[in-house]
Amino acid sequence: MKRYMFTICLGALLASCSARRMPATEVKEEVKPEAVMGRDKYMQYCQKCHPMGESGLGPALNNNPAPGFIKRFQVRHGLGAMPAFKADVISRADLNHIMKYLKTMKRRTPQPS
Amino acid sequence: MNRKNINACLLLCLLAIMYGCYGTRASKGGGQTSVPHNRTTRAADLLLPEGYRAEVVATGLNFPTAVAFDDNGGLYAIEAGYSYGEVFTHPRLLKITDGKAETIAEGEKNGPWTGICWHKGNFYIAEGGQTSGGKILRAGIDGKLTPLVEGLPGQADHHTNGPVVMNGYVYFGTGSATNSGVVGPDNAAFGWLKRHPSLHDIPCEDITLNGVNFETDNPLTTDPADKAVTGAYLPFNTAAKDGQVIKGRLPCTGAILRVPVTGGKPELVAWGLRNPYALAISPDNKLYVTENAADDRGSRPLWGVGDVLWEVKDGGWYGWPDYSEGKPIKLFKPPGSPTPQPLLKAPRATVPKPVAVFAVHSSSNGIDFSTSEQFGFAGKAFVAQFGDMAPNVGKVLSPVGFKVVWVDVATGEVKDFAVNKGRKNGPASKLETGGLERPVSVKFDPSGKSLYIVDFGILKTTPDGQSVPVQNTGVIWKISKQEVL
Repeated sequence: MKRYMFTICLGALLASCSARRMPATEVKEEVKPEAVMGRDKYMQYCQKCHPMGESGLGPALNNNPAPGFIKRFQVRHGLGAMPAFKADVISRADLNHIMKYLKTMKRRTPQPS
Repeated sequence: MNRKNINACLLLCLLAIMYGCYGTRASKGGGQTSVPHNRTTRAADLLLPEGYRAEVVATGLNFPTAVAFDDNGGLYAIEAGYSYGEVFTHPRLLKITDGKAETIAEGEKNGPWTGICWHKGNFYIAEGGQTSGGKILRAGIDGKLTPLVEGLPGQADHHTNGPVVMNGYVYFGTGSATNSGVVGPDNAAFGWLKRHPSLHDIPCEDITLNGVNFETDNPLTTDPADKAVTGAYLPFNTAAKDGQVIKGRLPCTGAILRVPVTGGKPELVAWGLRNPYALAISPDNKLYVTENAADDRGSRPLWGVGDVLWEVKDGGWYGWPDYSEGKPIKLFKPPGSPTPQPLLKAPRATVPKPVAVFAVHSSSNGIDFSTSEQFGFAGKAFVAQFGDMAPNVGKVLSPVGFKVVWVDVATGEVKDFAVNKGRKNGPASKLETGGLERPVSVKFDPSGKSLYIVDFGILKTTPDGQSVPVQNTGVIWKISKQEVL
């Protein structure tokens, strides 16, 4: 129980960190078709508050270590100022695609500074 | 783990949650910096896609807003002559040669000059009209200024914008007077409400009001207890009645209008826009406009509204003030505030779907299309993002904008093209680098091989929401693709 408590606390702390990563400006990306579909949905629903997965009106996503199920929960139920996106707005398949696109943004190689 | 450690963990969790809570976090906009004004420029501080390089073309410009090229490829720039923060100077048309600026024409203190284009031996300039109303000016190469049309809106929050020439007409934008249709104390903070207390938005066609009114403080009187009640499309402290009809007329606010290049009366192209800032014609001859969307301020604040790229259709109505991004206004409720109510009795028409939605408060402004395979991105739109004006426009958790993005108009994809290097986004003055400050417009040269970025210069914001522009800090950048040997 104590070990779980420590892990949960550490996870919460890490998840709350919002240091921003270098924006990427690559011309071409090699991404899976699901991620391409996710990109279109991301642009439609997420980009304006989390531009390129970075912080803006909302917090950064690229360096958010929260597991996928927590992110899905937040999309569906909304937490804090974030609105909820129910399945009639973002379908389960579309949400899966968005999660895949988020992973591609996380993996992209930062440009040298 | 003993009880003491568990308590410490719980406290850390609480702090983490509080830190993560939007309501408890302070705004960190790009203009919110106490770093001293010191503009340096270093092209190496820009982050570009591989194979592209930046160079500085001109520095020390006073609120530059746009560039144009004559038939010989000569570079011209306009200086606005006005900046938020109530700084008035004379707008100027400059010829830029080898980094030196020569004055071609000087306008009246009625800026900001917001856009310029070149067409068949003349420049067409949008004069914002903060003092006496907007104009479209024609300027010969000799610098003689002739008004093509006068008496346009522009003395309030937003100005006369654009222009582009297409099919024998000068197309231009007229910004809304207000944030979301209702004159309020935020307009007094801008500075214009006390100068022009009767100004308000003007619909392009007849509208019927819901009778929704907003009670606010009255900044026009000295009594701090005095209240004002104001309805949409009406002067400050004038209440609306349910079913009240506001007659539409031209020139109206929040619209795209056109006038023949030879002059004449303005004609309506499209309306229901908040601040249509810049127009551009795509390679397939379609007209596009960037729209600065509503802020979290004033009597009717809206939250989380992204700036928009629209394709302009003749006769189109784009939804402002009851829709944003093509969605109903109820979806843009500020945290802790009531749900915004529609102002109009019924939707006027089907609201179009945006081509792309930009970051909230990014102030996505100037736009141009790449047409050159040599530069790359052919058919893609490039958009200059001036950057947030937080906290005046609302809170942001990090600086938003301060970069140039490209847009795939077929898919709505928005990606960074030119940003400042560093771990964080923001203007150079905040990052303490020599990079971009506030990109306000972009323009490809006639060959299409180089992209010019007009950088307005330093504009800071104070904690109480005042704008503090710094004169003579504007820059013109040039981005080219390096030749592969």
